[in-house]
Amino acid sequence: MMSTIIEFKNVVKEYKSGNHILKAMDDVNFSIDEGEFVVILGPSGAGKSTLLNLLGGLDSVTSGQIIVNNQNVESFDDNQLTEYRAKNVGFIFQFYNLIPNLTALENVELMKDIVDVDIDGLEVLDSVGLKGHANQFPAQLSGGEQQRVSIARAVAKKPTMLLCDEPTGALDSKTGVLILNLLQDMSNNQNTTVVIVTHNSILAEAADKVIRIKNGQIEDIVVNENPKKVVDLEW
Amino acid sequence: MLRDIKKHKTQFISIFLMAFLGVFVFTGVGGEALGLEANVNQFYEDTNLADGWIYSPYLNDLFVEQVYLLGATTQMERQVVVDSEAVIKNEPDVTLHFVENNTISKFYLVEGEPLDINDSNGVWLDKSFADANGFKVGDNISFEFEGYKINKVIRGVGYSPEYVYHASTYSVLPDFKKIGFAYLSYEAFPSDTVPYNVLNVKFKGSPDTFNEILDYRLDGYYITFLERSQHSSVSLFSDQISLHKMMADVFPMVFIAVSMLILLTTMTRIITHQRNQIGILKANGFKNSTIIWHYLSYGFWLVLIGSVLGLILGPMILPKFIYSIMDSMFILPSWNYAWSMNFIYMAVLMVLMSVVVSYFSVKVISDEKPSQSIKPRAPKVSSTGIIERLKIWRKLSFNVRWNYRDAKRNKFRALMTIIGVLGCVALLTCAFGLHDSVNDLMVWEFNKTSHYETEMIIDDGASQSSIDEVASDVNGDEIMKDVIEIESNSTKKAGNLLVLDGTDLVTPTDSDMNEIKIKDDEISISQKMADMLDVKVGDTIKWHMMDSNKWIESKIDRIHADPNSQGLIMSKEKLQDLDLNYTPTTIVTNEPVDKNYSAIKSFSSMEYRMEGWQNMILAAWVLIYVLIIFASFLSVVVLYNLGLLSFIEIEREIATLKVLGFKTDTLRRLLLTQNLWFSTIGFVLGIPLGYYILKTMWASAGDSYYVVPKISLTNFLLTAIITFSLSIIVNLMFSRKIKKLDMVESLKNGE
Repeated sequence: MMSTIIEFKNVVKEYKSGNHILKAMDDVNFSIDEGEFVVILGPSGAGKSTLLNLLGGLDSVTSGQIIVNNQNVESFDDNQLTEYRAKNVGFIFQFYNLIPNLTALENVELMKDIVDVDIDGLEVLDSVGLKGHANQFPAQLSGGEQQRVSIARAVAKKPTMLLCDEPTGALDSKTGVLILNLLQDMSNNQNTTVVIVTHNSILAEAADKVIRIKNGQIEDIVVNENPKKVVDLEW
Repeated sequence: MLRDIKKHKTQFISIFLMAFLGVFVFTGVGGEALGLEANVNQFYEDTNLADGWIYSPYLNDLFVEQVYLLGATTQMERQVVVDSEAVIKNEPDVTLHFVENNTISKFYLVEGEPLDINDSNGVWLDKSFADANGFKVGDNISFEFEGYKINKVIRGVGYSPEYVYHASTYSVLPDFKKIGFAYLSYEAFPSDTVPYNVLNVKFKGSPDTFNEILDYRLDGYYITFLERSQHSSVSLFSDQISLHKMMADVFPMVFIAVSMLILLTTMTRIITHQRNQIGILKANGFKNSTIIWHYLSYGFWLVLIGSVLGLILGPMILPKFIYSIMDSMFILPSWNYAWSMNFIYMAVLMVLMSVVVSYFSVKVISDEKPSQSIKPRAPKVSSTGIIERLKIWRKLSFNVRWNYRDAKRNKFRALMTIIGVLGCVALLTCAFGLHDSVNDLMVWEFNKTSHYETEMIIDDGASQSSIDEVASDVNGDEIMKDVIEIESNSTKKAGNLLVLDGTDLVTPTDSDMNEIKIKDDEISISQKMADMLDVKVGDTIKWHMMDSNKWIESKIDRIHADPNSQGLIMSKEKLQDLDLNYTPTTIVTNEPVDKNYSAIKSFSSMEYRMEGWQNMILAAWVLIYVLIIFASFLSVVVLYNLGLLSFIEIEREIATLKVLGFKTDTLRRLLLTQNLWFSTIGFVLGIPLGYYILKTMWASAGDSYYVVPKISLTNFLLTAIITFSLSIIVNLMFSRKIKKLDMVESLKNGE
């Protein structure tokens, strides 16, 4: 039996702009199990990014609870949030956000500085197929390669979850598929929890769980008993 | 545009500040020194100050005719100059000038009637003296001198070009309650024959030539010829001018150069950050020229307003402040700052440079295809250098590696930061160095060289036996000081001669203030004099006493250093060997003296001499503090600005690191490390540069001061403390920014 690792309970997030209050997240409830490959779908402005920011510890809730690994994330202060991000969250960004000063290998091994995990950077790079590019700088790599380095960087510290914000948004579809396939493999083979935020609904068929949101609320949650392989999807 | 200014508020403020500060200091310090010179020259010109003074008791008509016949003078006028005592309670000394026609070294009237040469009843009084003692125009005043007592009506009060600085034997700091001068008509002299004793002359050509012509015909008929530059008031004030000019020379140039450099860097960076926006404007169909105009106007107005404000306020505020310190010491009819076209050129250069630099920064971007410029600039490709291939590289901390690479990838930014720090450190070192050297001058003079308690000036007419009597009474030693002229390599310089008769109260020193022994058969020349004449030990110089034509050739045996007296030192034996008379002029002793001797003209304690010296350089001292303050202020602006620029550039990377889970503290240390690296490099390079500037400044400080520019430990530490604490304070300001950094916002777009 898979255990619940992430739980949103009555989460509300409001933004104030002047006298106007915008509800970006309105009473959101869901849970994610360990090792699940989750896709969060929704149109622009639906609250996808807000959800990801709250889950990633980049922002705090107005009310409600976020429970990750039995910890109440919503009650964390700045320092605790930093530690939470360091230990639990592997971020993968649309624009990769690699440190341009550091080589691929150094970008991965960077994580040694924030977590107490022994990281063999080369091994991790090998797992994303980039062993040969270890000593290259981000600017010398293609977009897909950069995103793979960023995945390597995220998984290196063995986080509770990978949070991916439009990970293929800046890539062509062929490269995008390779990246998504890699993420799905991580979920299937290494039991890593992967949460992908996207507006591309095709990916829904490959997910273990699809959470659709609209106007800050959950529209529906679908659990796929037999998710397809990413490579088998019709792009 | 206003929105842009709001967004980059701090940077625009610092652009404005740097333009303002640069021009303000440049024009302020420059305007002060130039103003001193301009004011006093104007005064000398208005009052037709004499080119020279011939002192003689035989200034009858025949003598005047003889001088006239030499054909060298353009104008002459006789005066009787006598020391009198004003008949009021505190018996002040008033020097009376009975003038023949008031055409040379004229009385400068401030209040009352102009000097009337036919008025035998009037006196024109020193305004400072009149003010201090409560005399007004129309009052009566009596003077006693040489058995006469005269009572006159004050017709006017004013100034004299011969009393810009009123030296007295009692006091270095003029006390106008006790000393003054007065002008009267020769008609007012209380006897039928007027015993003229000073002939004021104006002549063309050099004073030396005039002196030679004078000697050719009239040697022996006069006592002394004093040229203008040797007049105590004139020379003292010109020393002041050269001291101030020295500070107005290199320092403000470096100051304005540093501010201009950082200003230009800032503008370039701001425009580069607008790259995206420029691309969008272009994509939307704005013409290149429109875009360029838009961004040019950015810096233009700020720099223009800053420079113009600096141009107006600099010469107004700084000189006024310094002059307010000087005007109790020196008497000039007007204390105005002076202008120089250089000020305007500098301000124009500042504005032009900023426009040119912005033009090219915008041009480079607007020449790109809009499709390129709306995208972020392709990141620079780094390569791995030697250091990175070393094994040790992998062992270095992330902090070190990140900063090394960051500096390597952003060489321009790194270079500018280093240059900025370097410039500020050089300015600080130099300003502190000035402070140290002036302080050193005093320690050197009063603790190392002339370390006696009391200095007694021997009366000209005193007999040797009476002098010896005083010397033994106060346990003192006799020394001889005289004025000489030295020639070598066809350069002539006036200097001082010091003849020692085995005293241990005057100690010759080397440039490190260590005692040196000058043997009885040796002649030593001061370092500064040797430099000016370009001679060294073993060379031969020619010299003569100012009051004699007898030139003597001497070999230099030794070089000593003296902070403010340049010339020769020798023993009594050596002097007599050269067939010159040893005539002691001064008795020095370690005992305090409070007794009057008839053989002694005046005496002064060490405390008194030091105080006088301090007062004399008070204005220069204050000027030094002004320089220190401005150098520190500039450092704040420069360091903060450079810090801000690099922070903006690496904001995104910092945000990424923060999202990944790096602690604010770690990130702060990351920036601090970089700051400290650059500060250290700038510091290490800035100290020698500051030393070099200091050296250049002292080299131009006139002929009398010899200063060994030193960077004292205190100076070094102060500069270090200021530089590094500024670095750290600036860093702390950024750590607040790191805390508040909006991670979500910073990560959203690629730019």
